[in-house]
Amino acid sequence: MKEFIAYLDSRIEEGKAKTAELLTGGRQDDANFMKVQTNIYEVCKTVNQALLSRPGAGIGAVKAQLERFRTEWSASLEKAKLHGNARAIAVEETKLSALKDIIAHFEEVFEG
Amino acid sequence: MTQEDAVKIFKCLSDMSRLRIVQSLNQGEMYTELLAERLGLTPSTVSFHMKKLEEAGLIVSRKEQYYTVYSLNRDILEKTIFDAAVSEPEQTDEQQKREEEYRRKVIKAFFEYGKLRSIPVQRKKKLICYEQIAAYFEPGKVYEEREVNEIILPIHEDYCTIRRDMISEGIFRREGSRYVRIK
Repeated sequence: MKEFIAYLDSRIEEGKAKTAELLTGGRQDDANFMKVQTNIYEVCKTVNQALLSRPGAGIGAVKAQLERFRTEWSASLEKAKLHGNARAIAVEETKLSALKDIIAHFEEVFEG
Repeated sequence: MTQEDAVKIFKCLSDMSRLRIVQSLNQGEMYTELLAERLGLTPSTVSFHMKKLEEAGLIVSRKEQYYTVYSLNRDILEKTIFDAAVSEPEQTDEQQKREEEYRRKVIKAFFEYGKLRSIPVQRKKKLICYEQIAAYFEPGKVYEEREVNEIILPIHEDYCTIRRDMISEGIFRREGSRYVRIK
């Protein structure tokens, strides 16, 4: 578990550094999308720690929550596409891309 | 070009990614995927920037088979900064502009993708939301109660309250079980 948390922490640090870099480079909107991405790693870290602190909860509960996020955000993306909402499409795709990375890493660490 | 257009253009261009898009389009027409590849951005992020540039009138688009091809709107881009800086304000009433802005904010807060999140408690906001719903009805056309319900239901589940409120607010006139939009 320590390895997984360390991975999330490194992504959070990377995200914060990139956000600052984008802001310095005059790319406010791209920086906002990077903030969204960083926030997903933070949310997953919090969820992970909260679920594992519950008695009887295990890795399966974390995986199930990550899958729930995927279902909810995929639905939001479809909705945004249906309404041609460019900002929402970019936000939901950013969230899903970060989640895909998290799930892939989770599977690598815990499911071999 | 009005002062409002000028502000929109300056805001839109005060972003390095959008300036790089304009720079790329200066070399010729391009579609989102190609721009994304060139600029190292995701296609959805590029689409977001394109939408902003299009709203500011700086680029134009046209459909070509599966792609949307973008090009620069040179009529606007070839104007000078001076032209934009000395542009005249739009000839609209200030009060009307403030009301329009308030209306836009209320609609943004209470509607999501055409669905009413909740019925506002404040009457002024409620009226704005009901006027928005009224746009789904043709003025003067007679609707059966069933038709009114069918139109309101996809917007909010409590269609009875909304239908009744729209009568008491004078948006609908009720004639037996028939309804007519009067404003």
